[in-house]
Amino acid sequence: MLKVINALLAILSGVLGSLLLYYVLNKVVERLPNKWEDRVKPYVFAGPAVILVGFFLIYPAVRTIVFSFANSDSTAFIGIENYTDLLGASDFVTGTLFNTLLWMIVVPAITVAFGLAVAVLADRLQPRAEKLTKSIIFLPMAISLVGAATIWKFVYAASPEGTGQVGLLNGILAGFGVAPVAWLQLSQAHANSLLLMVIMIWSQVGFSMVLLSAAIKGVPEDTIEAGRIDGATEKRIFFNIVVPQIWPTVITVFITVLIGVMKVFDVVYVMTNGNFNTDVIGVRFFNELFTNGNNGYAAAIVVMLMLAIVPVMVYQVRQYRRQEALR
Amino acid sequence: MRGMAFTKATAAGAGVALLTSGCLSSGSSNDAGGGSSAGTAKSEVSIMFGFGGDQTQGFKDSLEPWAKTNNIKIKYIQAASFDTLIRSSVAGNNAPDIALFPQPGLLKDIQKQKKLQPLDDVLDMKKLESSIVPGLLDAAAVDGKRYGVPVSMNFKSLVFYNKPAFTAAGYTVPKTIDELVALTDKIKADGTTPWCVGLESGPATGWPGTDWIEELVLKQSGPEVYDKWVNGEVKFSDPQIKAAFDTYSKLILTPGNTFGGAKSIVSTAFGTAANPMFTSKPGCFLHKQGNFVTQKGFLSEAIRAKIDTNLGVFPFPKGKFDTVETGGDLAAMFTKGDSNVTKVIKELTENPAFGAAWAGPADRGFISPHKDFDVSKYGNEVTRSIARNAYSATGIRFDGSDSMPAKVGAGSFWKGMVAYSSGQQDQDATLKAIEESFPKK
Repeated sequence: MLKVINALLAILSGVLGSLLLYYVLNKVVERLPNKWEDRVKPYVFAGPAVILVGFFLIYPAVRTIVFSFANSDSTAFIGIENYTDLLGASDFVTGTLFNTLLWMIVVPAITVAFGLAVAVLADRLQPRAEKLTKSIIFLPMAISLVGAATIWKFVYAASPEGTGQVGLLNGILAGFGVAPVAWLQLSQAHANSLLLMVIMIWSQVGFSMVLLSAAIKGVPEDTIEAGRIDGATEKRIFFNIVVPQIWPTVITVFITVLIGVMKVFDVVYVMTNGNFNTDVIGVRFFNELFTNGNNGYAAAIVVMLMLAIVPVMVYQVRQYRRQEALR
Repeated sequence: MRGMAFTKATAAGAGVALLTSGCLSSGSSNDAGGGSSAGTAKSEVSIMFGFGGDQTQGFKDSLEPWAKTNNIKIKYIQAASFDTLIRSSVAGNNAPDIALFPQPGLLKDIQKQKKLQPLDDVLDMKKLESSIVPGLLDAAAVDGKRYGVPVSMNFKSLVFYNKPAFTAAGYTVPKTIDELVALTDKIKADGTTPWCVGLESGPATGWPGTDWIEELVLKQSGPEVYDKWVNGEVKFSDPQIKAAFDTYSKLILTPGNTFGGAKSIVSTAFGTAANPMFTSKPGCFLHKQGNFVTQKGFLSEAIRAKIDTNLGVFPFPKGKFDTVETGGDLAAMFTKGDSNVTKVIKELTENPAFGAAWAGPADRGFISPHKDFDVSKYGNEVTRSIARNAYSATGIRFDGSDSMPAKVGAGSFWKGMVAYSSGQQDQDATLKAIEESFPKK
């Protein structure tokens, strides 16, 4: 009870405090000469936010970079040893990094393709059927990835042959008299990683569909009409008229999913914890930090991840600016 | 303009880097997580522990009446993932007053930050040395000081079997590993898979496999080699460790020896792995597991109801040596000089009767580490015989993987057993990978 009161007090004083801060700052700035007031005011209003973001984002990021050059309990600098160790370990490069790369290539592409397909096809249904279809496909979005992974554990579960199969896939196989398959152990050609990706795709297609569907509905009808009058086939209309107009949305969806995938952790942790060659960067980071207690490796992994994400983000920001300029 | 912005950003970044670099954490601080100084008496004492389900209730039932009479409030922090939670709470200066470590290796890792209190002056060590099963008390010693003292033990050197079926088939309890191998072959020749094995345990998948290897190292190569192996002086690639992997492979990984086949043991949950043993036509005859298999949620309730007639148990057969293996929960203290915290840890470890309610008729998987614990308090004859066995044992070692550095004992060794058992990795590659992860001194 005391804790609840404390929390409420904290929220109240926080909100009132910041209101008061802005009020006072505003009053102070208003006393300045007009010319200076205009100059200073933007900084006064944006300043506190920038400082907070800097404190909670940039400071930890820089600390992480610093720690990535230090030993496992962050007490002494050891140069670039963490990086050379990690990149020299074959299981990290051909396992963890390769799997992450696979996730980055497969998941966003399929998510966008499926989302687009559903959006286009649902667009042609009766309004009621469209709503129903979209709701069903959107539903998995509401499930946390840990929950989703737990659900899918029952899809892939394998019990020894001859006992009742709890797993859905093996249940179906058993119906045909086929021996159960240990799905999550199928590391040939990274099949098990692909099976894990299915979960991510299942949960993300809804998001992709909603955005793309909105974009498709926003395509001006007259451009499509014009194409029809000129005798273009449906295929041509879709690829040469609709797709170019929704391309910016496609990119946005692709990149949002891509960034999500680079950080993927929950699905893999719950399903295999990186066993059977399904390790990805997020899980490896967690295990280095919490199982192995190696701050240096963990920080180095995060820095590598940051380096990989930065170009993607830069591209997205540029893309966004270009769109803004077009409007 | 763009160039300007870039220069500015770089300058700012460099500035922050300068400010923050060089100030790595100092590494040692002797102040406890609670941050309390000497002479306090907390009204609420927090205890973090990793066991769950029925064990949690058993623990509370044992401690709560005592806490009430002593007017101390206990805050129970049940951690589903103990190793993660204790690490982050210690790193965040938010450690509990007392933590029950299932893994001395993790305790020693954490003690690198010097936040635990040595218990030698807090507890009556003379009394404990005579009362506690030998080998457990020194499991968590760092530089000659004891930081963890057992509250409970998990006796591991056991093989369970389906008593009626085993007797009906005319099998006899093996006394040596050779006899165990012969029995395994005989059961297979009679048309049943001999063993039930389950290595699946969520993110900790693989640990039951490490128990097998430890058992075999102890029995085949003896406690001295075992101790050196745990300390990293005997390598994983050493022929003596290889021999243990060979025997494990011969007993378990040989096709037809394990229920469901070697591939399925890594996806079979350790807790319910023994259940096929009790189907109308037994799926297997033998199951190696710790004493805790008798608690609720492991064997089916129908079997548990008449556990003494259904379940048989024999000590894991001896090889050249006959040292036994045990695990356990070790109480460690983060808060210094608090009279109530001290009182609680004394009750947990020094009171030889502690845990009577935990053991209880319900059998919640508890065995006291005190040799003078009243054996009649255990719920059934199976557990009583295990306890008697443990109390009379002369050579005991703590679970090796739990005593190794966490990186190996809770990381590469677990993962190695999974990869090896499922056939993902051959023996040499597995041993090499585990050896490489062992921290160099």
